[in-house]
Amino acid sequence: MTNRPSRRLRVALIAVSALLVAAAPALATPAKKLKGTFKIGTGSYFRMLEPNGSYFSNPYSTDTGDPTYSPVTAGRDGGLKTGKLQPAPTPAFDANGNSLANLIITPTSFTGINFGLATVGTAPTISVKAGRLSGQLTGYTAEWNNQTFLQGSSTVTGTYNAKTHKYLLTWSSLISGGPFKGFTGDWHLQGKFKAS
Amino acid sequence: MRAGTSRRCAVAALAVIGLALVAMPVAFDMFARAPKGAQMISAFAPFMTSSRLDGYHADMSAIGGAITDAPNVAQRLFAGPPASSGSRFATAYPSFAAFEREWRGIYPDMTGMIDTIQHNLGNYDAVAALPSFKLFPWFFVLPGAIIIALIALGLRRPGWWRRVSWVLLALGVGLALAPAVFQMFSRAPDGGRMMTAFKPIETHPRVERIQGYFSDIAEGQGAVELQLLPALRRSGLSTSEIATSYPGLTGFDADWVHILNDMTPLIGAMSNNVVNYDAVAALPPFALFPWFFVLPGLLVAGLALAAGPRRSRNAHGAAATDIPHPLTEGVT
Repeated sequence: MTNRPSRRLRVALIAVSALLVAAAPALATPAKKLKGTFKIGTGSYFRMLEPNGSYFSNPYSTDTGDPTYSPVTAGRDGGLKTGKLQPAPTPAFDANGNSLANLIITPTSFTGINFGLATVGTAPTISVKAGRLSGQLTGYTAEWNNQTFLQGSSTVTGTYNAKTHKYLLTWSSLISGGPFKGFTGDWHLQGKFKAS
Repeated sequence: MRAGTSRRCAVAALAVIGLALVAMPVAFDMFARAPKGAQMISAFAPFMTSSRLDGYHADMSAIGGAITDAPNVAQRLFAGPPASSGSRFATAYPSFAAFEREWRGIYPDMTGMIDTIQHNLGNYDAVAALPSFKLFPWFFVLPGAIIIALIALGLRRPGWWRRVSWVLLALGVGLALAPAVFQMFSRAPDGGRMMTAFKPIETHPRVERIQGYFSDIAEGQGAVELQLLPALRRSGLSTSEIATSYPGLTGFDADWVHILNDMTPLIGAMSNNVVNYDAVAALPPFALFPWFFVLPGLLVAGLALAAGPRRSRNAHGAAATDIPHPLTEGVT
């Protein structure tokens, strides 16, 4: 009876020690900045959540199964660069409001008008630690219909496999102004990272 | 003694008015709210023209054209009795059918809103013609500060009181006349009417509803472009035959990008300015604004006369300038 608490304590101590040993390499490894291009591969998409909780349906989506997903494909730079800005060209739009920002993604139709992506202001930074990605994309903008929507985040998360260089980046960004004010953009980029 | 007391009272009242004028923008949070009004007026400027608003009505008609053509399209694609073809059409094209259902509510709501905006064009123009809202707090603070400074000057240098009282009189007259100069008696109530008319429009629920309409209309257009027009082509009609037989459907499709270019900035302006509208609505009613200048102006002018020195005549009948200290004169 009197031995029970001490046995439990020993078990708990062993368990904690084991966890610490297992986690030690991860805790000891500093986060490493990934400078290069997050190549945008198949499976990358954008979705827009309406204030009422339903996803906006994009009839022009190239997703065959669910029009609330708008798949995106690599642009001229192959994807999203870290440590460097990828601005929109001048002019940023054609006469119909289609985005001409084609470095990150190939502009793709959203309700009949192409949207593109650019980074402005602070260059994106993404780090990896124990296979987990973190960083900021505060200057990430979506360009559509002669309008620019700040769609970045200071807290992007994801995973990275150092051997295969495969990555997955996700974040959500509340649209703070314009016709989609109050909507939330959900971004999901995946592919391979190429160091510069 | 009595004259001295009344002058002291007049000077004290002037000081109170000066302080009240300085405090009023703070009390009504005008420094935060008035610039939001300026933002709102500026944000709506591109849309507040007859031609632009007529264009929105044209956009609504273009969208409605597709709905008008829908029964004929259904007949073409699903030959048979109208009820049967309509039902089969709705089953085959659920996105368009959903748009058709929603349009019954969208059309009256949107055209009603555009009508309201259109009816308030004159009121908007009247408000836009007023001095910038950003300046409004200063229209109170500056006269108030000048009154206080003049009183302080008059007390510090009693010999200057006569000149000070003339300046105060001029300031009071200026304040009282300012609303007439800026045509505030007509423009401010117009602004009040505009604010009342926009009250049901500039709300978060209304804006969200309109954002939802955009989603419905976009889905409907997608169905026209990607489903109905290809189906009509598959039925054996050429592009020109489709355009001739279904002008509403093809018109909506052809105008879509223009409609998007036109509508989304308006929705954006509406959603961005709900907060600005609320700020302006929280100010005192527009109709009262002219009186916020006239009443203090008249009071300042009257009190300046009451507090000012009077020329007295001495025993020899010559005019003598008596410049008493406004607060100590008569005190023994």
